[in-house]
Order: sequence, then structure tokens, then C-alpha cells
Amino acid sequence: MRLVVARCEVTYTGRLTAYLPEAIRLLVFKADGSVLVHADSGGYKPLNWMTPPTVIEDGEDVIVVRKRAGRTEDRLEIRIAELLAELEHELGEDAGLEKDGVERHLQEALAEQPHVLEDGLRLVRREWPTDVGPVDLMCRDADDGWVAVEIKRVGTIEAVEQLSRYLEVLRRDPALAECRGILAASEVKPQARTLCEARGLAWAEADLALIRGAREPELTLFEA
Amino acid sequence: MRARDGLLELEATDMELSLRTTVPASVEGEGAIVVPARLLGDVVRLLPASEVTIAHRSEDGVASIDSGSYSGRLNVFAAEDFPRLPAIDVPLHDIESASLLDTVQRVARAASRDESRPVLTGILVRFEGSRLTMAATDSYRMAVKETELPSAGPELEAIIPARALDELGRIAAGNETVQLGVSENHVIFGAGDAWLTTRRIDGQFPNVAQLKPETFDVELELNRGEILEVVRRAAVMAQRNTPLRLRFSEGELTISAQSQDVGETRESLAVAYAGEALEIGFNAEFLREGLESVTSDAVQLKLINPLRPGLLSSEGDAFWYLIMPIRLAG
Repeated sequence: MRLVVARCEVTYTGRLTAYLPEAIRLLVFKADGSVLVHADSGGYKPLNWMTPPTVIEDGEDVIVVRKRAGRTEDRLEIRIAELLAELEHELGEDAGLEKDGVERHLQEALAEQPHVLEDGLRLVRREWPTDVGPVDLMCRDADDGWVAVEIKRVGTIEAVEQLSRYLEVLRRDPALAECRGILAASEVKPQARTLCEARGLAWAEADLALIRGAREPELTLFEA
Repeated sequence: MRARDGLLELEATDMELSLRTTVPASVEGEGAIVVPARLLGDVVRLLPASEVTIAHRSEDGVASIDSGSYSGRLNVFAAEDFPRLPAIDVPLHDIESASLLDTVQRVARAASRDESRPVLTGILVRFEGSRLTMAATDSYRMAVKETELPSAGPELEAIIPARALDELGRIAAGNETVQLGVSENHVIFGAGDAWLTTRRIDGQFPNVAQLKPETFDVELELNRGEILEVVRRAAVMAQRNTPLRLRFSEGELTISAQSQDVGETRESLAVAYAGEALEIGFNAEFLREGLESVTSDAVQLKLINPLRPGLLSSEGDAFWYLIMPIRLAG
């Protein structure tokens, strides 16, 4: 991670042209090739940025960041008028974002008792790896069919999209071609329910206290 | 809005239920537009004069609204884009309005508002000869009302969205009869100049008769007004779904509620209870609504135990309200 505080002007050319006139800015060059230009106002978003993969060319008073975008090239030219501070530090391996408590606990509880989502469901592996990220729970159903379970605190449309991406990748493997998907959450939003049903995915609301046996189920006149 | 033959025809739909009606109008040229309903309603409700002129030129995307000193313009949409409403081309039966609406009103509150279980958002409506039965349930309570009509209705058993029947209450109030027509997918109600069409809900409604327990261990007659007042007062303290506690002891019923960090309430009334003390919890709102749905002065309360459903009913009224308890801690 390289941090530069400098009085600089920044010109972006590519899909459009943008120019930031000379001012003091923080330049962030990440090891993965991301480049961000920050001001001391305007919130958390950078004024300009480039996503990896990039090529960074360090000149005497100019830094050029290039990236191929189809047939064209995106180019960020940072012209340094005055270098005020520079720091470079190895951050090491990323520990990853810790899931919030409810989501993590829900995953643990459902891993122990996947059958609460569907009769006969049994766990094969937690964090089943795919090219687009790990599937929370990979299970087999009562008929031995594969079932990918994505667990969220709140089930939103984004969660359905995430599960759909996993399934798309998983189903490329002939052995998992028939893999089904279940979105499990403490609360599944109505739009997510509709999208699940439209895509042939199942959804289930899971009550952590209920699974843990900390609370008995509500009494109802019939099983709804 | 379609202007023709001295009438302004109004149609509205949310694709589940639709309403149409006409109002007399002085029409200078025929035409149709689609306007944002809520916006138009808000404007019209606040207009100063008793007459309003709505003008639209086919080449314009706006309608002008003039009334007395008021003058406004409203962006409109093309009438061709408006969905076609179900046709009213089925045999119609006259149903006594008061009986129909009373039956709806007695059961509607027990219907679920949870759209994830569509069947439970509806009211089961069954006509058998001159007997009308309606039932609604959200799985925590069930309300059932049988009503004898002055004349036979159509042969019908359908699950009709509760909110459609709620809407019917508004449009049919003051009419002596409601016209009822049934098609394969829709049910049509006519009241005066207004027509309400609603989609039927597909699915299996819970077995009403099977859910009602045949026998109870406790049967009490209570003064409805008295217990309703106590329940309403206690319900104030039953916040965040904390239960109302009903404790029956020799000759006395004590109703209490306690919400952490809020407060508690306790009130007793004399009842003809004999036997071992019994404590049972109910959702305050569900219990209050059940008591409100009983219309006689005396209400029958029947119980089995703290984990089995309780029944509210009244003598001589074919209405019952089954309510599931809430488990009480400690």
C-alpha cells in the first residue's frame, strides 16, 4: 500500500474526460492495482479511481495509471506539483470481512441443523469454494440432490443475485448441474421472495433463537 | 378516465382488484386519458367549486383542471397503455347488502397481511343456497360467520382477497343490495354505479370445521363490554407483542400485562369460574379484535389448556372466533 499526499492535478481520459485542477490530495495505490484519488471532503468516495488490473508508470513529476478497456485505454495522469508526504507499507494477507454476529451465528446454527430449512437436508461442507466466492452451506437433500444455501441476516435482492451467481458457476460442473439454491435469512424481503420464486430458488426464514432452542415455536392453529 | 355519452367513466386497478364507476358529465368531445389516481384524488378533494372542467387535447400529454379560481395541469398517460379490466358478462345475483357487509366485517380482521402466504390474505366465501359462510385466518386466530340471507345466492366457494371485501364495504355502504357475479378467475360486485372486480386467490384454505375443537374443559359466560374494557386498558401495557395474561381463579379473572422497561397493569373482574387456577396468555390485539367481533352483550369463552386454542362466541349468533394462546414464561 502506497500513500502519497501531494499538490497535484489529475486528468482522466477514457470513456469520458475529467479534469481535477491542482489541489492537495491523497493518492492511494493499492497492491492489487487499485488507484484512488481522495480529497479531504466529499465523503468516503474517491474523486477519481481506477480499478485493477492497471499499469502504473512513475515519472519524475507525473504518475500515469493505464488500464485497457476493450479496444480503448483508460488513462489517469497525475501531475505532481509538490510532493508533501509519501508512505509505503506492506499490509500482508487480508483477514477478510468478519460477518456480523447474527449472520455468522445463523450460519453456525444452520450448519448444525440444516433440516430446519428443509426436511432431510444434510450438510456436506461449509464455505464450499467457487470461483466467485464460497457458498455458505453446501448440502444434500432427502433425494441426495445438491443444494447450495446462502445465508444472510436480511435476505435482499442482492442476496438472490449472489446465490444465482454461485449456482451459475456450480452448475457448470456436470455433477452439480441439478444443484438447487436456498436463500436463508432471519428476514427475507418481499422483493427477494418474488425474485427467488421467479428464478426457481427456494427461500426460508430462519429464527436463530428457535433453532438454538432458546425459544419455543409460536403456537398456531395449523402449520402455515 | 373516458368521456362519452354524457358520462365520465372512471376505471382504476392494481391488477388484483379493480374499480369502475361513472359520473354524469357534460362531454364536449369523446376521449380517454390515464391520470395518476392519487394525485387527481388529492386535487379534486381540495377543489373550491362544485364543478370541475377537465380538458385534454389528444396531441398533448397534459390535462388541464379548472374549478372556480383553481387552475392546474396534470401530466397524463395514453389510454391504450391502461390494462383491460375483466368484463362484466356473467350472470348477476342480488345479495342483501347489510348481511353481506356485516359478515365481511365480522371476519375480515382475522385475515393475514403477510403476502408470503396469499391464501391467508383472503376470506373464504361460500354460498350454499341462502346460507353464506365466511372464514378468515392468519394461523393465530380464525373467525367464522354464517349468515342466513333472505334469498339464495350463487353457488360459490372462493377465496377472495380480504382487502377487496374491505373495499366493498366502502363502495356498497348505503346500498340495499349488492350484485354478485362469478367467473372462473374473478368475482364481481356491483353497488349503485360502482363495480368492483377482484381476482380469486388460488390455493387450499385451511379446513375450517376440523380446526374447531369439539370439546372444551372450561366454559364461561362473560359480560362482553366489561371484559373488552379491561382488555383494552391492559393492552396498552402489552407492548412489543408481550402477551396478556388471563388468570382464572375461584370466581375471579385477573388480566395483566407487563412490558420490560415500560410498565405493567393488572385488573380483576368477577367471573363464574370454579376449579383449579388456570393461567393463559393471548396476543392483546387478537383477543381485543375477537371480543369486538362478538356483537351480543354476553360472550362465551371456552378454553382447554394454556397451549390449546380458546374460543369466543355468543349465544344465538352463528359466529365463532378461535384464538391460539401465547406460551407464558415462568
